Amino acid sequence: MKIALTVNGRKVGGELEPRTLLVHYIRENLNLTGTHIGCETSYCGACTVIMDGRPVKSCTVLAVGADGADIMTIEGLARDGQLHPVQEGFWERHGLQCGYCTPGMIMAAVGLLEQNNNPSEDEIRHGIEGNLCRCTGYHNIVKAIEYASAKMRGEQPAPAEWEVTA
Amino acid sequence: MTTRLDGPEKVTGAALFPADVVRPDFLHAQIVFTDQPHARLVDLDVEPARAVPGVVEILTAADIPVNEYGLVFRDQPVLIGPGNELTAVAENISRWEADQLCVVIAENIEAARAGAAAIKVEWEELPILGDIDTSLQSTVMLHPENGLDTNAYHHLRIRKGDIDAGWSEADVVIEGTYEVPYQEHAFLQPEAAISYIDEEGRVTVEIAGQWTVEDQEQIAHALDLPTEAVRVKYPAIGGAFGGREDMSMQIVLAAAARKLAARGIRRPIRCQWSREESIVGHHKRHRGRIKARLGARRDGKIVAVEADCYLDAGGYNYTSNKVLGNLHLCVGGPYEIPNARIDSYAVYTNAVPGGAFRGFGAPQGAMVAETQMNKLALALDMDPIELRLLNSLRDGSMGITQAEMPLGVSLPFVIDAAANAASEEFQVGELRPVATLPSEESAIRRGRGFACGYKNVGFSFGFPERCEAAVELFGDDEVERAILYHGAAEVGQGSHTALRQMAAMAIGIDYERVETVYSDTATSGDSGSASASRLTWMSGNSILGAVEEATKKWNDGERPARGEFRFVPPPTQTLDPVTGAGQPNFAYGYVAEVVDLSVDIETGHIRVDRVICANDVGRVINRTLVEGQVEGAIVQAHGYAITEDLQVKDARITNPRLSAYLIPGIDDIPAEIRTILLEHPDPRGPWGVRGMAEMPLVPYAAAVVAALHDATGVWFHQLPLTPSRVLAGLTANPL
Repeated sequence: MKIALTVNGRKVGGELEPRTLLVHYIRENLNLTGTHIGCETSYCGACTVIMDGRPVKSCTVLAVGADGADIMTIEGLARDGQLHPVQEGFWERHGLQCGYCTPGMIMAAVGLLEQNNNPSEDEIRHGIEGNLCRCTGYHNIVKAIEYASAKMRGEQPAPAEWEVTA
Repeated sequence: MTTRLDGPEKVTGAALFPADVVRPDFLHAQIVFTDQPHARLVDLDVEPARAVPGVVEILTAADIPVNEYGLVFRDQPVLIGPGNELTAVAENISRWEADQLCVVIAENIEAARAGAAAIKVEWEELPILGDIDTSLQSTVMLHPENGLDTNAYHHLRIRKGDIDAGWSEADVVIEGTYEVPYQEHAFLQPEAAISYIDEEGRVTVEIAGQWTVEDQEQIAHALDLPTEAVRVKYPAIGGAFGGREDMSMQIVLAAAARKLAARGIRRPIRCQWSREESIVGHHKRHRGRIKARLGARRDGKIVAVEADCYLDAGGYNYTSNKVLGNLHLCVGGPYEIPNARIDSYAVYTNAVPGGAFRGFGAPQGAMVAETQMNKLALALDMDPIELRLLNSLRDGSMGITQAEMPLGVSLPFVIDAAANAASEEFQVGELRPVATLPSEESAIRRGRGFACGYKNVGFSFGFPERCEAAVELFGDDEVERAILYHGAAEVGQGSHTALRQMAAMAIGIDYERVETVYSDTATSGDSGSASASRLTWMSGNSILGAVEEATKKWNDGERPARGEFRFVPPPTQTLDPVTGAGQPNFAYGYVAEVVDLSVDIETGHIRVDRVICANDVGRVINRTLVEGQVEGAIVQAHGYAITEDLQVKDARITNPRLSAYLIPGIDDIPAEIRTILLEHPDPRGPWGVRGMAEMPLVPYAAAVVAALHDATGVWFHQLPLTPSRVLAGLTANPL
């Protein structure tokens, strides 16, 4: 089957097997390997990308189902070498350790903040409850998203605990 | 605050994990598991697989020159099948469902899978020893090559003082039998690797591991090659937690690259496991059963400890004998115990092997020791904190193995810190009820529990411990920049950042002026593993030594000045086979925790409202990295205590999926984690550093059990505390 779609602002497409999953298309055909596979059963969220403005787990989407769609992966988030505020937040607020869940977690957070630019802590938790992390214990991930949320509203992020106690 | 060195590439997707390396000329490998917990191979016919279009090569046991491996001792065939008969272990018997049978290499993964499906294999089924009891009662020996007439192949003893005199002195005796469960590492990155022959002719494996040199040596042994003919390199590692300490696909992929090269095919090979293959295909935290007795005088002084500990080692040893040793040291608790009898056994079965997982036997030990102590406090009507402080190990104390504790025993300090925070900062106020389940407020019970623990830092029981570093200093009059060469694995804990910080501290230049070359046997020495809470401790000492060597040469005028150093800590000992006497360790970490929880007595759901963790880290090198280790360890401990329930039936894992094996998600975790970092220097640690990354996992389950008892009046002796188990326990013991 032939598909045509936009990935990170670039027109891509071509012939592929109808059963190809979007995550495999992104990783193997486009060589965008920042989108990770952790389970292939839609449980872990490591493969989360933004599809037409909403976060989706790309292991649950057939590539043919993304025909005509506008997809953004982790590689499309930084602009002109400037990290997106969510990326900056995960780095600044130590929202990652091994980093394997991080791209999916970041894309889920980007999707959340596009819907709601000032989420409460509970809303942040709800927004990323489909994404698993085995390293951090999640608390710093919430702080990373709070940091990004403030930045995206043009506000100064609340200082980290270590900045307060230092 | 120094942010992570690997932060930018990990937030942009640029970091390359082993499955992210894509080369146009890749061949693809499918590893075929035997799918037989216990069976003898009668016939293996791979010819039908060769006929599948796209299949390039098939690797079988006959292709492995020395068909055996193992981290501590070599009791496992690399591939099951008729091999070269150079090994003691019988090569044609599968003892685990994920024993590997062969590897199909093909032009694409579909062809590799089709080839795997075409293999014809005939098995003679053997009795499946599915658990500890069956194995202990069986006359079938899983490893007859060891000459024993029992599957309990490793037995440790402690005979300290006069146990009969101890019991006669005891006013109160606490008894309990505890069942501790498996735990799956569930690192988010399933196993994956690539292999190829590098530009210098070395067979090379790029994989996520924990110890490059150990991987290299195990590959070299099985392939009968000099170690320098093998290269192991770590790209980004997607979590480890002990689950990458043993071989998964290292040896077979190296063998496959060599076999293809011998045919003149020089193409890289890639292999990736699915989540199911990952969960079935690597070891677990040991399940086990521990029967324990604790005796004390009316004044609270411990006078006797007895325990019988059994761990399910599975089909192969992996690191079971060492994990058992750690359980053995921890099962009495970090206390002064004058009289003790402890017998601990590792038992071969046909279930999944037990092995390294963060805590390495200490969480199982602490679950027993601390629950026993909490029961004792209740029986004596004594404050559990006071009871601990009365019996706590201190500097000068003799440990359970009749050797003096390494100096810097800070257990009383962490106990005080956790207890003070609980009583001063956190009066029990308004706690939220269980979040996701509507429930009558009257069904919510709240409780608070305490537990503490200790665990060794570094390799134990005489295992050769060392760590190498090299440092080069550049400049004219003053050092302008430096390069650190180190093998340390960055498994997510932040080692590559912390080591660079320590190099800058040791040299006395800015962090930005230190370059680093890491985790490649072609450029770095033997770091030892990223395990046993040892890496900052050992690496810091190796870096201090290397900088001292480089500085000597610098002062002699050498430019650049290169210093190399191999740090070796004080030796440790295997335990005496009869009494268990000996010095097993050179350093320890200490931790204490308070858990507040709510339990819904109608549904059995537990919600942990707050955890206070006081962890002595000796010296903080990077606060946010250290706090990240505490929070991550507590959430893993939460999974161990409450949510993670690996099902094994007839020696097969029946829920190898993240949809059915539930690691904590963000809605499950403790609502608040209060981390208290103490800095009582370890006299032998670099800058006073202590190992710390396992400690918060150690006492958590026991603290949860105590809090649940506080809430309901019921003691639980089995983990995990899933809603159904809690409900069953509450039903059997009405409030």
